[in-house]
Amino acid sequence: MNTLTRDGLRKLVGEWMAAGKICVGPVRVKPGTVLFARLTSPEELLLDGWVRPANSIKELLLPRNETLYGYRVEKNRIELLDPPETIPEQIAICAHPCDAAALPILDKVFNWDFRDEAYNRRREATTVITLVCAEHDEECFCTSVGLAPDATGGSDAMLYDLGDGQFAVSSLTEKGRAILGEAEAHGGHASAPPVRFDPKQIARFAVDRFADPFWQAHSLACVGCGACAYTCPVCHCFDIVDEGNGREGVRARNWDACQFSLFTLHASGHNPRHAQGDRQRQRIYHKFHVYPEKFGETLCTGCGNCARNCPVGLGVLPLITEIPHAEPV
Amino acid sequence: MSGTEAFSPKIVAYVCNWCTYLGADLAGTARLEYPPNVRIIRLPCTGRIDTNLVVKAFEIGADAVLVSGCHPGDCHYTAGNYHARRRWMLFRDLLDVVGFDMRRIHFTWISAAEGKKFQQAIEEITEQTRALGPYRPYEAKPAAAACSGCAVVDACSASASAIAAPPADSPAQTRLRETAARLLSEGAVKVVIGYGQRGPAFITKPEDAARLVWNQTCFANLTTYLKRKEIRALGKPAIVLKGCDERALVVLEKESQVDRAEMHTIGMACAGMGQPKCAACDTRQTRFADETIADDAPVPPPTAERYAALDSLLQKSPEERLAFWTTEFDRCLKCYACRQVCPMCYCERCLADKNRPQAIDTSPHRKGNFAWHLSRAIHLAGRCVGCDECTRACPAAIDLRLLNLSLARAAETKFAYRAGTDPAVEPLVGAYSLNDKEEFIR
Repeated sequence: MNTLTRDGLRKLVGEWMAAGKICVGPVRVKPGTVLFARLTSPEELLLDGWVRPANSIKELLLPRNETLYGYRVEKNRIELLDPPETIPEQIAICAHPCDAAALPILDKVFNWDFRDEAYNRRREATTVITLVCAEHDEECFCTSVGLAPDATGGSDAMLYDLGDGQFAVSSLTEKGRAILGEAEAHGGHASAPPVRFDPKQIARFAVDRFADPFWQAHSLACVGCGACAYTCPVCHCFDIVDEGNGREGVRARNWDACQFSLFTLHASGHNPRHAQGDRQRQRIYHKFHVYPEKFGETLCTGCGNCARNCPVGLGVLPLITEIPHAEPV
Repeated sequence: MSGTEAFSPKIVAYVCNWCTYLGADLAGTARLEYPPNVRIIRLPCTGRIDTNLVVKAFEIGADAVLVSGCHPGDCHYTAGNYHARRRWMLFRDLLDVVGFDMRRIHFTWISAAEGKKFQQAIEEITEQTRALGPYRPYEAKPAAAACSGCAVVDACSASASAIAAPPADSPAQTRLRETAARLLSEGAVKVVIGYGQRGPAFITKPEDAARLVWNQTCFANLTTYLKRKEIRALGKPAIVLKGCDERALVVLEKESQVDRAEMHTIGMACAGMGQPKCAACDTRQTRFADETIADDAPVPPPTAERYAALDSLLQKSPEERLAFWTTEFDRCLKCYACRQVCPMCYCERCLADKNRPQAIDTSPHRKGNFAWHLSRAIHLAGRCVGCDECTRACPAAIDLRLLNLSLARAAETKFAYRAGTDPAVEPLVGAYSLNDKEEFIR
């Protein structure tokens, strides 16, 4: 199966759903908004008319709210309730290369010193079918962080839109072959954004000019919400909360974001990142210096969602293109 | 066990310590029997009963909620019940829009002498709730994920009309830049808060005034920056205001958050920014600005009815409304963009960020999201000026505007009040009237 029609793809999605697999793909949730969402029918799957959804597929691996375990108290006995051992197979359909590339990046974080069972369980159950980008917009910058609109990292299979209602299919991994069969397409049209900066220069600036007034001056508009981090394919910070009462409850893991003032607030009242500029700098510093130093690659896939979702026009690209001499070398 | 015969409803009663609690006590000492389905929670005053508590009760499985306090004129603290009454009037409208079953929320005035009335109220509420069956609002089936053309198609605010290309240097933009440069070079202000190419811009040097723009992308409400410490640290500001934004400033001043004497306001006549709010706008010009800038073009009158979107939502049944909001809130990520962009959300530490006690679950699960959005909306009752920044900022395209509209209309129809229009009028929540309508209170 080297090609697949649109109807053929929908039919497959219907079969996967009927088999109990969770299918996630781009869905038009509002006239102006496309999000990756769990499909309730194959017809919801949107196959054109968007550049990229305003969220990412990271939620398949790191849900915004995940129960780690529950507890129940009966008389003098406390019972711990483990989450289900197995989770249903999940398939991301029409992910973008900038979504798929996030998976190997997240793998490192969730396995380097501690093997995060919840994450790995979901990771193993997830198959990613990536759609090569036939379009890009001015927020896209994957080529600046070493990726491409047809990059295969993290994907189990690739779809190339041939423009005539057909997709060329390429199965890359066992998981991909298991659902799409053997297929080996040889590329197709891909729309690459221009290279906008050199990540090494950004890292150097973030380290050398850590205390530079640049950070405060260019973060004045930031209102301190989590829209950038929560729609980012690789931002992975989380908070652990206990919810319940004296008799029963759960310990849950929820997303958290470095742009919230509470993120680093100490119990004493001291906040080491007391100004919003410190928090914006942290986001850049972590993505372009801390993570690369530890794991050898950039913690950014150039999807541009931070800028698309920022209510006040900030985001990784808008901020770092303000950095002096940040133009490509 | 089968069906409703075995169903024993759980009723949570939030009662005032000084009257209804004593009324319940009297019912007990007088040996008046009433069903054991009620769980009484005593609070110092109905004025102290936070709307969150009502939501919380439903969250943890109540089938009905009773809120009960002292008769008008009888409040131990003079006016707590009057304040409570006004808040309930607004809160009921909010719950109704969200599709909560209003037959399960009861309000009574019961004095310390009315043991009999307490007994009757509990009997009636128990019977009524038993007949309704168990209440599981958080198990409502969401509508399909995709906009299906859709459950409340007419109510959709997300279809903002396309933004026209910014005009090349308009006369108003040129005058705005000149004004900013003048204010900064004269030293009248230290920063001009205006709009730049990508959004809010903060101009501190006269030579940077050319970065300011005035075009169809200037929809943000900049008054939200007046509260931010990073901006306050820059010194005395000049702020670019549209007529709609100015209403926020009126509310902020009324709530003692800003002092106009310590800022310079530049009013811009606005022909609309292509946002849903703009079609119904009747405040296209500022009224109190220190100086105004207007193009020659006439300012168009409103072309749409302000509450049209809300009306089409209200035409749906409560079940459909609940399903609609379930779908909307299920998309919520709790990124708090709605709160952060809101000029009225200026609390040093938001209720949602406090955890002793945890009033609102921080988790972005269904209950946590319902609690958050209901709390956010009611805290803005009589304060929200309808700038719709929350809706615009939401990365999940949740139609928060409809919640705000429901409270704006409640304020307008019940109290003839529109936030930010008249600086002389007392804030809506914070004042009360002996004549507030209480037909819903037994």
